Amino acid sequence: MDINNQTVPEDLYYDKNDWWVKLDGELAIIGMTEYGQKNTGDILYLELVEPGYSIQCGEKLGSIESGKWVGNLISPLTGVIEESNYEVEKKPRQVNLDAYGKGWMYKLLLNDPGEVRLLMTAQEYAEWIAEQAKCELEMG
Amino acid sequence: MALDKIILSARSSGLIPNTVRYLQFSPHCVLVGYHQAVELEVEEEYCREHHIEINRRITGGGNLYWDEGQLGWEIFALKDTPGIPKHLEEMYRLMCESVVAGLKRLGVTARFRPANDIEVDGRKISGTGGTEIGNAFLYQGTLLTDFDVDTMLGCLKLPIKKLEDKQVNSFKQRVVCLKEVLGCLPPMEDIKASLAQGISEVLGISLEPGMLSESEQTAYNQALPAFQSDEWIRGTRILPQENDLCAAEHKTPGGLIRVSLRLDPNRQRIKSAFISGDFFAYPERSILDLEARLKNTSSRPTDVLNNVRKFFSDYKVRIPGVSEDDFYHALYLAIEKGR
Repeated sequence: MDINNQTVPEDLYYDKNDWWVKLDGELAIIGMTEYGQKNTGDILYLELVEPGYSIQCGEKLGSIESGKWVGNLISPLTGVIEESNYEVEKKPRQVNLDAYGKGWMYKLLLNDPGEVRLLMTAQEYAEWIAEQAKCELEMG
Repeated sequence: MALDKIILSARSSGLIPNTVRYLQFSPHCVLVGYHQAVELEVEEEYCREHHIEINRRITGGGNLYWDEGQLGWEIFALKDTPGIPKHLEEMYRLMCESVVAGLKRLGVTARFRPANDIEVDGRKISGTGGTEIGNAFLYQGTLLTDFDVDTMLGCLKLPIKKLEDKQVNSFKQRVVCLKEVLGCLPPMEDIKASLAQGISEVLGISLEPGMLSESEQTAYNQALPAFQSDEWIRGTRILPQENDLCAAEHKTPGGLIRVSLRLDPNRQRIKSAFISGDFFAYPERSILDLEARLKNTSSRPTDVLNNVRKFFSDYKVRIPGVSEDDFYHALYLAIEKGR
Protein backbone atom coordinates (compact mmCIF):
# COMPACT_ATOMS: atom_id res chain seq x y z
CA MET A 1 0.00 0.00 0.00
CA ASP A 2 1.02 3.64 -0.38
CA ILE A 3 0.68 6.26 2.34
CA ASN A 4 1.86 9.88 1.96
CA ASN A 5 3.78 8.85 -1.16
CA GLN A 6 5.59 6.11 0.80
CA THR A 7 5.47 2.47 -0.22
CA VAL A 8 4.56 0.13 2.64
CA PRO A 9 4.64 -3.50 1.40
CA GLU A 10 1.88 -5.52 3.01
CA ASP A 11 3.87 -8.73 3.55
CA LEU A 12 6.35 -7.12 5.96
CA TYR A 13 6.43 -6.14 9.65
CA TYR A 14 7.61 -2.72 10.88
CA ASP A 15 8.84 -0.88 13.95
CA LYS A 16 8.96 2.77 15.04
CA ASN A 17 12.68 3.05 14.22
CA ASP A 18 11.61 2.56 10.60
CA TRP A 19 12.83 -1.00 10.13
CA TRP A 20 11.03 -3.41 7.86
CA VAL A 21 11.18 -7.09 8.75
CA LYS A 22 10.57 -9.99 6.40
CA LEU A 23 10.03 -13.27 8.18
CA ASP A 24 11.33 -16.51 6.67
CA GLY A 25 10.92 -19.26 9.28
CA GLU A 26 13.35 -18.49 12.10
CA LEU A 27 15.20 -16.01 9.91
CA ALA A 28 14.31 -12.32 9.67
CA ILE A 29 15.62 -10.13 6.85
CA ILE A 30 15.65 -6.50 7.96
CA GLY A 31 16.27 -3.09 6.41
CA MET A 32 15.23 0.54 6.56
CA THR A 33 11.80 1.49 5.23
CA GLU A 34 11.24 3.91 2.39
CA TYR A 35 9.76 6.37 4.90
CA GLY A 36 12.86 5.96 7.09
CA GLN A 37 15.36 6.49 4.28
CA LYS A 38 13.50 9.56 3.03
CA ASN A 39 13.58 11.09 6.52
CA THR A 40 17.25 10.19 6.88
CA GLY A 41 18.22 11.68 3.52
CA ASP A 42 21.21 10.73 1.40
CA ILE A 43 23.06 8.06 3.37
CA LEU A 44 26.83 8.60 3.28
CA TYR A 45 28.06 5.86 5.58
CA LEU A 46 26.77 2.67 7.12
CA GLU A 47 28.70 0.59 9.60
CA LEU A 48 27.16 -2.83 10.21
CA VAL A 49 27.97 -5.33 12.94
CA GLU A 50 29.50 -8.65 11.97
CA PRO A 51 27.80 -12.03 11.56
CA GLY A 52 27.73 -14.03 14.78
CA TYR A 53 26.91 -10.98 16.87
CA SER A 54 24.13 -11.57 19.42
CA ILE A 55 21.68 -8.74 19.64
CA GLN A 56 18.78 -7.90 21.93
CA CYS A 57 15.77 -5.95 20.73
CA GLY A 58 16.50 -2.25 21.37
CA GLU A 59 20.31 -2.60 21.28
CA LYS A 60 22.66 -0.84 18.86
CA LEU A 61 23.02 -2.69 15.58
CA GLY A 62 25.43 -0.38 13.76
CA SER A 63 25.64 3.27 12.78
CA ILE A 64 24.46 5.42 9.92
CA GLU A 65 25.54 8.87 8.72
CA SER A 66 23.74 11.40 6.58
CA GLY A 67 24.18 15.16 6.41
CA LYS A 68 26.92 15.09 9.08
CA TRP A 69 24.57 13.35 11.52
CA VAL A 70 25.62 10.02 13.02
CA GLY A 71 22.67 7.95 14.16
CA ASN A 72 22.41 4.51 15.71
CA LEU A 73 20.68 1.54 14.13
CA ILE A 74 18.56 -0.01 16.88
CA SER A 75 17.61 -3.67 16.55
CA PRO A 76 13.88 -4.39 16.15
CA LEU A 77 14.29 -8.01 17.30
CA THR A 78 16.41 -10.39 19.41
CA GLY A 79 18.70 -12.97 17.84
CA VAL A 80 22.06 -13.62 16.21
CA ILE A 81 23.30 -11.93 13.04
CA GLU A 82 23.41 -14.58 10.35
CA GLU A 83 24.51 -12.30 7.53
CA SER A 84 25.44 -8.60 7.17
CA ASN A 85 24.95 -7.00 3.78
CA TYR A 86 28.45 -5.68 3.15
CA GLU A 87 27.43 -4.59 -0.35
CA VAL A 88 25.14 -2.01 1.19
CA GLU A 89 27.90 -0.99 3.61
CA LYS A 90 30.12 -0.30 0.58
CA LYS A 91 27.30 1.44 -1.30
CA PRO A 92 24.90 2.84 1.30
CA ARG A 93 23.06 4.69 -1.44
CA GLN A 94 21.37 1.35 -2.16
CA VAL A 95 19.22 2.02 0.90
CA ASN A 96 18.02 5.26 -0.70
CA LEU A 97 17.55 3.66 -4.12
CA ASP A 98 16.06 0.28 -3.23
CA ALA A 99 15.04 0.20 0.43
CA TYR A 100 13.07 -3.05 0.26
CA GLY A 101 15.41 -4.82 -2.18
CA LYS A 102 19.17 -4.41 -2.49
CA GLY A 103 19.09 -2.06 0.52
CA TRP A 104 18.49 -4.87 3.04
CA MET A 105 20.97 -4.79 5.93
CA TYR A 106 20.86 -7.98 7.98
CA LYS A 107 19.64 -11.54 8.12
CA LEU A 108 18.91 -12.29 11.75
CA LEU A 109 18.40 -15.76 13.27
CA LEU A 110 15.62 -15.07 15.75
CA ASN A 111 15.61 -16.40 19.31
CA ASP A 112 11.82 -16.41 19.17
CA PRO A 113 10.05 -15.92 15.81
CA GLY A 114 6.91 -15.08 17.81
CA GLU A 115 8.59 -11.78 18.76
CA VAL A 116 7.47 -10.31 15.43
CA ARG A 117 3.94 -10.17 16.84
CA LEU A 118 5.15 -7.17 18.86
CA LEU A 119 5.94 -5.32 15.62
CA MET A 120 3.49 -3.33 13.50
CA THR A 121 1.64 -4.70 10.49
CA ALA A 122 1.72 -2.74 7.22
CA GLN A 123 -1.66 -1.21 8.09
CA GLU A 124 -0.49 -0.17 11.56
CA TYR A 125 2.76 1.27 10.20
CA ALA A 126 0.88 3.23 7.53
CA GLU A 127 -1.35 4.68 10.25
CA TRP A 128 1.72 5.51 12.31
CA ILE A 129 3.32 7.34 9.33
CA ALA A 130 0.11 9.33 8.87
CA GLU A 131 0.12 10.20 12.57
CA GLN A 132 3.73 11.39 12.34
CA ALA A 133 2.89 13.57 9.35
CA LYS A 134 -0.05 15.07 11.29
CA CYS A 135 2.17 15.83 14.31
CA GLU A 136 4.75 17.52 12.07
CA LEU A 137 2.03 19.67 10.48
CA GLU A 138 0.72 20.69 13.89
CA MET A 139 4.24 21.65 15.01
CA GLY A 140 4.54 23.84 11.92
CA MET B 1 35.75 13.31 22.36
CA ALA B 2 35.41 11.30 25.54
CA LEU B 3 33.50 14.12 27.22
CA ASP B 4 31.12 14.39 24.28
CA LYS B 5 30.17 10.75 24.77
CA ILE B 6 29.98 11.03 28.57
CA ILE B 7 27.82 14.17 28.59
CA LEU B 8 25.54 12.82 25.86
CA SER B 9 25.10 9.53 27.74
CA ALA B 10 24.43 11.41 30.98
CA ARG B 11 21.79 13.54 29.24
CA SER B 12 20.19 10.46 27.72
CA SER B 13 20.05 8.82 31.15
CA GLY B 14 18.45 11.92 32.67
CA LEU B 15 21.42 12.53 34.98
CA ILE B 16 22.00 16.10 33.77
CA PRO B 17 19.86 18.88 32.23
CA ASN B 18 20.12 20.08 28.63
CA THR B 19 23.62 21.49 28.36
CA VAL B 20 25.67 23.96 26.32
CA ARG B 21 29.42 23.39 26.30
CA TYR B 22 32.35 25.24 24.76
CA LEU B 23 35.65 23.63 23.89
CA GLN B 24 39.11 24.58 22.68
CA PHE B 25 42.07 22.37 21.90
CA SER B 26 45.63 22.65 23.11
CA PRO B 27 47.81 21.07 21.82
CA HIS B 28 46.32 21.54 18.40
CA CYS B 29 44.80 18.56 16.67
CA VAL B 30 43.09 17.13 13.63
CA LEU B 31 39.72 15.48 14.15
CA VAL B 32 38.13 13.20 11.60
CA GLY B 33 34.40 12.49 11.45
CA TYR B 34 33.06 9.33 13.07
CA HIS B 35 32.96 7.33 9.85
CA GLN B 36 36.14 8.74 8.32
CA ALA B 37 39.44 6.89 8.05
CA VAL B 38 42.49 8.78 9.32
CA GLU B 39 44.72 7.59 6.47
CA LEU B 40 42.30 9.03 3.92
CA GLU B 41 41.73 12.38 5.59
CA VAL B 42 44.91 13.39 7.39
CA GLU B 43 48.47 14.23 6.30
CA GLU B 44 49.92 12.14 9.09
CA GLU B 45 53.56 12.91 8.41
CA TYR B 46 52.88 16.65 8.54
CA CYS B 47 51.00 16.16 11.82
CA ARG B 48 53.89 14.20 13.33
CA GLU B 49 56.41 16.86 12.29
CA HIS B 50 54.27 19.65 13.73
CA HIS B 51 53.18 17.79 16.90
CA ILE B 52 49.54 17.88 15.87
CA GLU B 53 47.42 15.23 17.59
CA ILE B 54 44.86 13.13 15.73
CA ASN B 55 41.55 11.85 17.02
CA ARG B 56 38.08 10.84 15.87
CA ARG B 57 34.83 12.57 16.76
CA ILE B 58 31.64 10.83 17.76
CA THR B 59 29.78 13.13 15.35
CA GLY B 60 29.55 13.03 11.57
CA GLY B 61 31.08 15.25 8.93
CA GLY B 62 34.57 15.87 7.62
CA ASN B 63 38.13 16.38 8.76
CA LEU B 64 38.89 19.47 10.87
CA TYR B 65 41.96 21.24 12.13
CA TRP B 66 41.64 22.69 15.64
CA ASP B 67 43.93 25.01 17.52
CA GLU B 68 43.24 27.69 20.12
CA GLY B 69 41.81 29.84 17.33
CA GLN B 70 38.68 27.73 17.07
CA LEU B 71 35.91 27.80 19.61
CA GLY B 72 33.81 24.67 19.66
CA TRP B 73 30.18 25.04 20.68
CA GLU B 74 27.95 22.14 21.62
CA ILE B 75 24.30 21.72 22.50
CA PHE B 76 23.17 18.56 24.32
CA ALA B 77 19.41 18.11 24.65
CA LEU B 78 16.60 15.60 24.63
CA LYS B 79 15.11 15.00 21.19
CA ASP B 80 11.61 15.75 22.50
CA THR B 81 12.58 19.11 24.02
CA PRO B 82 9.69 21.48 23.18
CA GLY B 83 10.53 23.75 20.26
CA ILE B 84 13.27 21.55 18.79
CA PRO B 85 12.19 20.22 15.38
CA LYS B 86 12.27 16.47 14.84
CA HIS B 87 13.35 16.77 11.22
CA LEU B 88 17.11 17.02 11.03
CA GLU B 89 17.19 19.76 8.39
CA GLU B 90 14.93 22.00 10.44
CA MET B 91 16.84 21.19 13.59
CA TYR B 92 20.14 22.10 11.88
CA ARG B 93 18.66 25.43 10.86
CA LEU B 94 17.43 26.25 14.36
CA MET B 95 20.71 25.32 16.04
CA CYS B 96 22.74 27.31 13.53
CA GLU B 97 20.42 30.29 13.79
CA SER B 98 20.98 30.37 17.54
CA VAL B 99 24.71 30.78 16.85
CA VAL B 100 23.98 33.31 14.08
CA ALA B 101 22.07 35.34 16.71
CA GLY B 102 25.10 35.15 18.99
CA LEU B 103 27.39 36.35 16.22
CA LYS B 104 25.05 39.27 15.57
CA ARG B 105 25.64 40.42 19.14
CA LEU B 106 29.33 40.58 18.26
CA GLY B 107 28.54 42.75 15.23
CA VAL B 108 28.85 39.94 12.67
CA THR B 109 26.17 39.45 10.03
CA ALA B 110 26.22 35.71 9.45
CA ARG B 111 23.64 33.31 8.06
CA PHE B 112 22.82 29.63 7.95
CA ARG B 113 23.86 27.91 4.71
CA PRO B 114 22.20 24.53 4.15
CA ALA B 115 22.93 21.85 4.93
CA ASN B 116 25.17 22.51 7.93
CA ASP B 117 27.25 25.66 7.68
CA ILE B 118 27.23 29.20 9.02
CA GLU B 119 28.76 31.71 6.65
CA VAL B 120 29.63 35.38 6.32
CA ASP B 121 29.29 36.72 2.77
CA GLY B 122 29.58 33.20 1.37
CA ARG B 123 32.67 32.34 3.42
CA LYS B 124 32.35 29.59 6.03
CA ILE B 125 32.87 30.66 9.64
CA SER B 126 31.35 27.63 11.38
CA GLY B 127 30.81 24.03 10.30
CA THR B 128 28.51 21.77 12.29
CA GLY B 129 27.48 18.15 12.83
CA GLY B 130 25.74 15.92 15.32
CA THR B 131 24.93 12.54 16.76
CA GLU B 132 22.58 10.87 19.19
CA ILE B 133 22.45 8.36 22.00
CA GLY B 134 19.04 7.03 23.04
CA ASN B 135 16.64 9.94 23.31
CA ALA B 136 19.33 12.64 23.49
CA PHE B 137 21.31 14.42 20.79
CA LEU B 138 24.52 16.40 20.51
CA TYR B 139 24.80 19.17 17.94
CA GLN B 140 28.20 20.78 17.69
CA GLY B 141 30.08 23.31 15.60
CA THR B 142 33.39 25.07 15.27
CA LEU B 143 33.56 28.84 15.25
CA LEU B 144 36.66 30.19 13.56
CA THR B 145 37.83 33.02 15.79
CA ASP B 146 41.42 33.31 14.59
CA PHE B 147 42.73 30.89 12.05
CA ASP B 148 46.04 29.46 10.89
CA VAL B 149 45.00 28.57 7.34
CA ASP B 150 48.44 27.37 6.25
CA THR B 151 48.63 24.77 8.99
CA MET B 152 45.11 23.64 8.15
CA LEU B 153 46.10 23.21 4.52
CA GLY B 154 49.19 21.27 5.61
CA CYS B 155 47.52 18.75 7.88
CA LEU B 156 44.25 17.96 6.09
CA LYS B 157 43.78 16.10 2.84
CA LEU B 158 41.85 18.67 0.82
CA PRO B 159 40.96 19.02 -2.87
CA ILE B 160 43.78 21.50 -3.51
CA LYS B 161 47.00 19.51 -3.48
CA LYS B 162 49.17 20.10 -6.54
CA LEU B 163 47.41 23.38 -7.31
CA GLU B 164 49.13 26.64 -8.13
CA ASP B 165 49.62 29.29 -5.44
CA LYS B 166 46.95 31.49 -6.99
CA GLN B 167 44.38 28.70 -6.65
CA VAL B 168 45.49 27.93 -3.10
CA ASN B 169 44.95 31.59 -2.24
CA SER B 170 41.52 31.35 -3.79
CA PHE B 171 40.81 28.28 -1.63
CA LYS B 172 41.76 30.26 1.49
CA GLN B 173 38.95 32.67 0.64
CA ARG B 174 36.44 29.88 1.28
CA VAL B 175 36.75 30.37 5.03
CA VAL B 176 36.79 33.45 7.26
CA CYS B 177 37.40 34.04 10.96
CA LEU B 178 36.01 36.52 13.49
CA LYS B 179 39.29 38.39 13.64
CA GLU B 180 39.19 39.07 9.91
CA VAL B 181 35.52 40.09 9.92
CA LEU B 182 35.81 42.41 12.93
CA GLY B 183 39.36 43.66 12.38
CA CYS B 184 40.33 42.49 15.87
CA LEU B 185 39.59 39.49 18.05
CA PRO B 186 37.19 40.09 20.95
CA PRO B 187 38.09 38.44 24.28
CA MET B 188 37.09 34.77 24.26
CA GLU B 189 34.82 35.31 27.28
CA ASP B 190 32.85 37.94 25.31
CA ILE B 191 32.49 35.55 22.37
CA LYS B 192 31.22 32.77 24.65
CA ALA B 193 28.79 35.14 26.39
CA SER B 194 27.42 36.40 23.05
CA LEU B 195 26.91 32.88 21.72
CA ALA B 196 25.20 31.86 24.98
CA GLN B 197 22.86 34.86 24.67
CA GLY B 198 22.05 33.97 21.06
CA ILE B 199 21.39 30.34 21.95
CA SER B 200 19.16 31.37 24.88
CA GLU B 201 17.26 33.86 22.73
CA VAL B 202 16.56 31.58 19.77
CA LEU B 203 15.89 28.39 21.74
CA GLY B 204 13.88 30.25 24.40
CA ILE B 205 15.92 28.91 27.30
CA SER B 206 17.90 30.32 30.19
CA LEU B 207 21.40 29.01 30.81
CA GLU B 208 23.09 28.59 34.19
CA PRO B 209 26.84 28.04 34.58
CA GLY B 210 27.72 24.51 35.61
CA MET B 211 30.59 22.05 35.95
CA LEU B 212 30.92 18.34 35.31
CA SER B 213 28.99 16.30 37.85
CA GLU B 214 30.91 13.80 39.97
CA SER B 215 29.50 10.89 37.99
CA GLU B 216 30.45 12.55 34.68
CA GLN B 217 33.99 13.17 35.95
CA THR B 218 34.32 9.52 37.04
CA ALA B 219 32.95 8.23 33.75
CA TYR B 220 35.28 10.57 31.85
CA ASN B 221 38.35 9.30 33.71
CA GLN B 222 37.33 5.74 32.93
CA ALA B 223 36.59 6.41 29.24
CA LEU B 224 39.67 8.50 28.45
CA PRO B 225 42.13 5.64 27.70
CA ALA B 226 39.72 4.12 25.17
CA PHE B 227 39.37 7.43 23.36
CA GLN B 228 43.16 7.82 23.24
CA SER B 229 43.65 4.33 21.79
CA ASP B 230 44.41 3.47 18.17
CA GLU B 231 41.41 1.17 18.30
CA TRP B 232 39.17 4.23 18.63
CA ILE B 233 41.11 6.66 16.46
CA ARG B 234 41.55 4.21 13.59
CA GLY B 235 38.57 2.04 14.42
CA THR B 236 36.43 2.86 11.43
CA ARG B 237 35.97 0.11 8.87
CA ILE B 238 35.76 2.35 5.84
CA LEU B 239 37.52 0.84 2.86
CA PRO B 240 40.77 2.49 1.80
CA GLN B 241 40.93 4.24 -1.56
CA GLU B 242 43.89 5.33 -3.56
CA ASN B 243 44.32 8.66 -5.23
CA ASP B 244 40.86 10.03 -4.56
CA LEU B 245 41.84 13.54 -5.72
CA CYS B 246 40.84 14.36 -9.30
CA ALA B 247 41.29 17.60 -11.18
CA ALA B 248 40.14 18.77 -14.62
CA GLU B 249 39.93 21.90 -16.73
CA HIS B 250 37.33 22.95 -19.28
CA LYS B 251 37.74 25.90 -21.63
CA THR B 252 34.66 28.00 -22.37
CA PRO B 253 34.07 31.32 -24.22
CA GLY B 254 33.78 33.03 -20.80
CA GLY B 255 37.01 31.61 -19.41
CA LEU B 256 38.67 28.50 -18.08
CA ILE B 257 36.90 26.41 -15.41
CA ARG B 258 39.21 24.47 -13.09
CA VAL B 259 37.68 21.75 -10.94
CA SER B 260 39.36 19.78 -8.19
CA LEU B 261 37.35 17.06 -6.47
CA ARG B 262 37.85 14.57 -3.66
CA LEU B 263 35.88 11.51 -4.61
CA ASP B 264 34.69 8.42 -2.81
CA PRO B 265 34.47 5.95 -5.71
CA ASN B 266 33.00 3.14 -3.60
CA ARG B 267 30.09 5.26 -2.54
CA GLN B 268 29.96 7.24 -5.78
CA ARG B 269 30.23 10.49 -3.84
CA ILE B 270 31.84 13.88 -4.23
CA LYS B 271 33.43 14.34 -0.81
CA SER B 272 34.43 17.96 -1.49
CA ALA B 273 34.82 20.29 -4.44
CA PHE B 274 36.97 23.27 -5.29
CA ILE B 275 36.11 25.31 -8.37
CA SER B 276 38.09 28.22 -9.72
CA GLY B 277 38.88 29.92 -13.01
CA ASP B 278 39.06 33.25 -14.77
CA PHE B 279 35.33 33.69 -15.42
CA PHE B 280 33.08 36.25 -13.71
CA ALA B 281 30.16 34.93 -11.68
CA TYR B 282 27.15 36.95 -10.54
CA PRO B 283 26.42 36.87 -7.70
CA GLU B 284 30.11 36.62 -6.87
CA ARG B 285 29.57 34.12 -4.05
CA SER B 286 27.69 31.66 -6.25
CA ILE B 287 30.74 29.46 -6.89
CA LEU B 288 31.26 29.07 -3.13
CA ASP B 289 27.61 28.12 -2.80
CA LEU B 290 27.92 25.65 -5.69
CA GLU B 291 30.86 23.99 -3.92
CA ALA B 292 28.76 23.73 -0.75
CA ARG B 293 25.87 22.29 -2.78
CA LEU B 294 28.10 19.60 -4.32
CA LYS B 295 29.71 18.47 -1.06
CA ASN B 296 28.75 14.90 -0.10
CA THR B 297 26.46 14.46 -3.08
CA SER B 298 26.28 11.71 -5.68
CA SER B 299 29.03 11.65 -8.32
CA ARG B 300 26.81 9.84 -10.84
CA PRO B 301 26.79 11.98 -14.00
CA THR B 302 22.98 12.28 -14.17
CA ASP B 303 22.80 13.32 -10.52
CA VAL B 304 25.62 15.85 -10.97
CA LEU B 305 23.89 17.31 -14.02
CA ASN B 306 20.57 17.63 -12.17
CA ASN B 307 22.29 19.11 -9.14
CA VAL B 308 24.16 21.74 -11.18
CA ARG B 309 21.10 22.68 -13.24
CA LYS B 310 18.93 22.98 -10.13
CA PHE B 311 21.58 25.12 -8.45
CA PHE B 312 21.75 27.52 -11.40
CA SER B 313 17.98 27.70 -11.49
CA ASP B 314 17.54 28.21 -7.72
CA TYR B 315 20.27 30.82 -7.39
CA LYS B 316 19.69 32.63 -10.70
CA VAL B 317 23.42 32.49 -11.41
CA ARG B 318 24.78 34.43 -14.39
CA ILE B 319 28.26 33.83 -15.76
CA PRO B 320 28.91 35.54 -19.11
CA GLY B 321 30.17 33.02 -21.67
CA VAL B 322 29.82 30.05 -19.30
CA SER B 323 26.74 27.85 -19.12
CA GLU B 324 25.57 25.50 -16.40
CA ASP B 325 26.40 22.61 -18.71
CA ASP B 326 30.00 23.87 -18.91
CA PHE B 327 30.25 23.43 -15.14
CA TYR B 328 28.73 19.99 -15.43
CA HIS B 329 31.24 19.12 -18.15
CA ALA B 330 34.21 20.24 -16.03
CA LEU B 331 32.89 18.21 -13.09
CA TYR B 332 32.24 15.23 -15.36
CA LEU B 333 35.83 15.31 -16.64
CA ALA B 334 37.19 15.29 -13.08
CA ILE B 335 34.84 12.46 -12.05
CA GLU B 336 35.86 10.40 -15.10
CA LYS B 337 39.51 10.69 -14.05
CA GLY B 338 38.56 9.08 -10.73
CA ARG B 339 37.04 6.00 -12.33
